[in-house]
Amino acid sequence: MKTADLTFAHEISPQPPRVGKVTITLNIQDTSGAPVAGAHLALEGNMSHAGMVPVLAEAKEVQPGRYQSVMELSMAGDWKVTVHVTLSDGRKLDHDFEIKGVEP
Amino acid sequence: MDLLRLPLAGSLLKKRHARTLLQIPLFIISAAMIFHGLLGPQLAPRNLATTLTWVHFRGALILVLLLAGNFFCLACPFMLVRNLARKFFHPVRNWPRRLRNKWLSIGLFVAMLFVYEWFDLWASPWWTAWLIVAYFAGALLIDAVFKHATFCKFVCPIGQFNFVASTVSPFEVAVRDHDVCESCATKDCIRGVREVEAPLVTIQRGCELALFQPRKVGNVDCTFCLDCVQACPHDNVGIMSRVPAVELAVDPMRSGIGFFSKRKDLAVLAVVFGFGGLLNAFGMISPVYALEQWLAKLFRVNTEFPVLASIFTLFLVIEPLLLIGVASWITRVWSGSQRPLLLLAVRYSYSLVPIGFGIWLAHYSFHLLTGLYTVIPVTQSAFADFGWAILGQPHWSLPGLAPNVVQLFEFGFVTLGLLGSLLVSYSIAVSEEMVHPVRVFIPWATLSLLMAGAAFWLLSQPMEMRAVALGSG
Repeated sequence: MKTADLTFAHEISPQPPRVGKVTITLNIQDTSGAPVAGAHLALEGNMSHAGMVPVLAEAKEVQPGRYQSVMELSMAGDWKVTVHVTLSDGRKLDHDFEIKGVEP
Repeated sequence: MDLLRLPLAGSLLKKRHARTLLQIPLFIISAAMIFHGLLGPQLAPRNLATTLTWVHFRGALILVLLLAGNFFCLACPFMLVRNLARKFFHPVRNWPRRLRNKWLSIGLFVAMLFVYEWFDLWASPWWTAWLIVAYFAGALLIDAVFKHATFCKFVCPIGQFNFVASTVSPFEVAVRDHDVCESCATKDCIRGVREVEAPLVTIQRGCELALFQPRKVGNVDCTFCLDCVQACPHDNVGIMSRVPAVELAVDPMRSGIGFFSKRKDLAVLAVVFGFGGLLNAFGMISPVYALEQWLAKLFRVNTEFPVLASIFTLFLVIEPLLLIGVASWITRVWSGSQRPLLLLAVRYSYSLVPIGFGIWLAHYSFHLLTGLYTVIPVTQSAFADFGWAILGQPHWSLPGLAPNVVQLFEFGFVTLGLLGSLLVSYSIAVSEEMVHPVRVFIPWATLSLLMAGAAFWLLSQPMEMRAVALGSG
């Protein structure tokens, strides 16, 4: 997944994801493949039905360019996660991905 | 109690332009929903069209029906536009005689439920906005061509939902003193108030839905438009309190309706209302996706239409036919009733309305109460989306009530509906069956219990929301 000139890759654990706590790991690289360190990541999970309150979480940098967050998914189904990224130089961008088929 | 005699609300509702005053805010909100639905973010929880339509409007509508009456038809924004258009269009045609029943609107009501699932309307601001546009266009088109309140009485699916649901409401528009009507010579409540010197010119409409107040019984087909209140020269029409659902238990000749027991279309509407409530709730829980996948494999298809069509046929046609057919047959055999099976089925189908109402109430109140405050950040966000962030940054974390708390309300609402259905079926049995009324009551009570049991099972299942991708395992 690419947003602007950065490449995002995500991992979800457990697999398949279930309602409750899931760990989301994001790897961010620039165009040369170097890890993008020092960014601030705020995650927002939304469901497809109106009236659902989004689930918010922060991510910690566990290695340079590797960020980890724990989200509490409150319902089964498909989730859309938006990652609000603030890079170390102050630039801001959003990156979206989906978690499909979260099981009850 | 007469709501029109209450100090503040009464004097407001009695004003000549009360309806317009109530319609204008809803029209503005509808316009904002269309605008945001078409041009705003397409994530449903962030959009006014989806949030207000599928969370707040539906929830508020059913709660107002429970606590008061059909006040949403009173404030209907579609009728505001239609009334404005009627200043330019003067329809002369009557709605075709063969369509003067509920069959078309039942079809549209089922189509609405189907389209809701097929297009995942709850997840689509774009389609929700177009649905609102379609309602405005439909009301305008139908009532530009045909006289009276044709759209409301014979077409509008929301109207039919409200008509059936309002049979359990605690208020109805009714005559205060029937003796006054006996001596009334003008019958303005149905004819309208005419210009003295030009009797063909109406200066105040009478009932456009053909409900003659002195012979009106209950809320079916009443939009609470209050034209009759305005037209009555004797100030003899009020919004009166009553015992909810009693109108389902009696079968007098009703103005504009006829006898319930002779209206197969109304009975089918009542059945679709009840079983449609179960089906609509079923669409929001985990087992429906497993069933869809299983059906897709069985039919060897990877499109949703035939799968959904099968589910709708099963739950809205086969299941009700089977259950009501069996209940009617047992009634006839066990009680020795001489009434034809079809007549029994029609008459007792009305007893399913309260349990149906309880199911809709449980479902809609869940979305309303758990997402109650989401309207605040969505409105903040909508203003910000169009570069006018006067309401500040959206507070996305504002929650509603906790789902486990709301679940208690849901079970309470279904139980209330069940009690209503038991009372209605028992009342019909006692008043209309001379021999063995209890034997008549038991099959219909069992049917209500089955529906309530199904509702309790549905409400205890984990909710699940996803776009269906058939054939993916």
